Amino acid sequence: MVDESKLREKAAEVLAREDVRRLIGWKRGTYGFEAAPCVIKDASEAEALIFDPTCVQNPASFITLEEKKPVPRGQEADTRKIAVMVKGCDSRAIVQQLVEKAYDRDHVIVLGIPCLGVIDRRKAAALFGDVASQVSAKVDAEKVAVDVGGDVKTVDRKDILMDKCLRCRYPNPLVYDELLADEVEKWAGDEFADVGEFEGQSPEEKWAFWEEQFSKCIRCYSCRNVCPMCYCVECVVTKLQPQWTRRATDISENTVYHIQRAWHLAGRCIECMECQRVCPVDIPIMTLNRKLTRDVKEMFEYEPGVDVEAQPLLASYNPQDPEDFIM
Amino acid sequence: MGDYKFAKTKLAEVIGAMSDYQVVAPVESGEVVRFAVVDDPAKVTLEFSNTNVPPKELMFPETETLFRFRLGGTDLEPEVPDAAARRAVFGIRPCDAMAYTIVEKLYNWDFPDPYFNNRREATTLVGYACAEPCANCFCPSLGGGPGSEKGLDSIAFDLGDTMYLKTLTDKGEELVKALGGVLESAGEAEARAAAKQVEEAEGKIRRSIDTEGIAEHLPELYGHPFWEQFSDRCLSCGICTFLCPTCHCFDIQDESEGLDARRARMWDTCMFSEYSLHASGHNPRPTRKERTCNRVSHKYSFFPTNFDAIACVGCGRCINYCPVNIDLLDILEKSKQADAKEAQDA
Repeated sequence: MVDESKLREKAAEVLAREDVRRLIGWKRGTYGFEAAPCVIKDASEAEALIFDPTCVQNPASFITLEEKKPVPRGQEADTRKIAVMVKGCDSRAIVQQLVEKAYDRDHVIVLGIPCLGVIDRRKAAALFGDVASQVSAKVDAEKVAVDVGGDVKTVDRKDILMDKCLRCRYPNPLVYDELLADEVEKWAGDEFADVGEFEGQSPEEKWAFWEEQFSKCIRCYSCRNVCPMCYCVECVVTKLQPQWTRRATDISENTVYHIQRAWHLAGRCIECMECQRVCPVDIPIMTLNRKLTRDVKEMFEYEPGVDVEAQPLLASYNPQDPEDFIM
Repeated sequence: MGDYKFAKTKLAEVIGAMSDYQVVAPVESGEVVRFAVVDDPAKVTLEFSNTNVPPKELMFPETETLFRFRLGGTDLEPEVPDAAARRAVFGIRPCDAMAYTIVEKLYNWDFPDPYFNNRREATTLVGYACAEPCANCFCPSLGGGPGSEKGLDSIAFDLGDTMYLKTLTDKGEELVKALGGVLESAGEAEARAAAKQVEEAEGKIRRSIDTEGIAEHLPELYGHPFWEQFSDRCLSCGICTFLCPTCHCFDIQDESEGLDARRARMWDTCMFSEYSLHASGHNPRPTRKERTCNRVSHKYSFFPTNFDAIACVGCGRCINYCPVNIDLLDILEKSKQADAKEAQDA
């Protein structure tokens, strides 16, 4: 596990640099299992930074979220760097953003944190109920120790960690300028068992499932906005002229939205699972993404977000593609 | 008004007896509980703290048709809900019912909105008092409470094996009459147990806000750097506003299929950048900072200035569901410490 005092020291050191504008990390949330991603601008604020299994959010999402106001005449845009702390999965988002040339490598200082897993708050609620006091936690290769107001309980990893962590292929950051702790050993492979299970159903069963799920959608677009790969300045679903997707919430428009979202992430989704985590009505969004991830892997032998030198899937051609699906 | 009771095991029977009404109640789908028209009384659940999506959608649906027309034609066919229709909403929490009393001020401001008003008039609200408030509930700070009767026609209390039902208005009494003989009459014992439960529930509420002075102070903080500690991590999604029982903003759009068209309104949110985007391309709220400031200021300053009521009922949803832990109470507390002199031009 990363030593938090070392993490704060490093953050303060980076923020003190003249060429750094801000740092994105995590701080303790206001209640329960919450951590809050935080953007700090001054070395004095580094004291608030933490890293433990409550730090679920993907800080890479915030690099492209910042909206810049027009620069007044006579002034120059602030082009100083952004420092960002990342877990293994988060780092894949940075790799993919770099592959897509969302920004230059020089634009970010990546502080990597090897990670043994983060807490799924839905699983935590099932175990601990509605917790008001601030919770901290520790994780190792066997167990998760949860500290609720001084009362420490030890829980099995599978009962509280996010599903993505149980099948994590990349616990260590894949791109970084500095690692804040020793690399951890990998513990799992990913056989896409969840996708296989879903694929086994008939088209009628699948549609009945998605019809119910999409009907719940309130189109708050939190799944889109939290996604580190959804960084288009103007999104096709909110475009008004021409309007490709109506704003009305009904099964037809909601389905259009979800299919569009999934397809736009084909060969780009880095499986941080933020979309599913944030959904206020519990739509299992990752099921669609995971199916596409596996298809892309099998059909094109491509995995996004693992190699900064790679070409984007849809902008590359490989004569050695398996092509099994072409008649 | 009257005091009634029924055995909790008879819930489905009581719901079934409301056959003169269209019944809307909390129904579980997956792990999400949401208000829905009841087709099978057995599906109604009382095992929820509060619904993820608030029942504001019962008066102000996510998407509603205002009128239909033919392209090229001049006739409009309004689709105004019938005020004389009878609808019973069973199991609404006191905070969500109180929200209607706030939002209806807006819907009757410069123009009485027949869509909202007729739905409200057609509806009899049977409340459901809270015995176990959530970690982020703070309704007493806004004049509500676990047993608040504001906006309700009757209120039910879960007393273990028995549900105690207290009617509060003529409409509430009328619904009881329509039920026929399925209810028994209740007395002092149930009323006392209910009062005790409410008192205990109030004691379990851990969060609060002193709203004194906030309405006057917030407008002085426009452009203040203190907003950035929250807005820098805001995703600009619609969770806090769509799940808010008092947020009432809507967008109006025309849609057509072939020559058949409709004008519809749908939930909109001030947290989307398109919300305040002008046709010229100028956006007066260009960043999440201005949007965060607007959301909080509207609830706690602009709305009370215009309508003499804070547009918040303390249900805690915006805190519970924010993916990045932007905590309304934290913002309000920190706003008190923010010095107006440090506010900059945005």
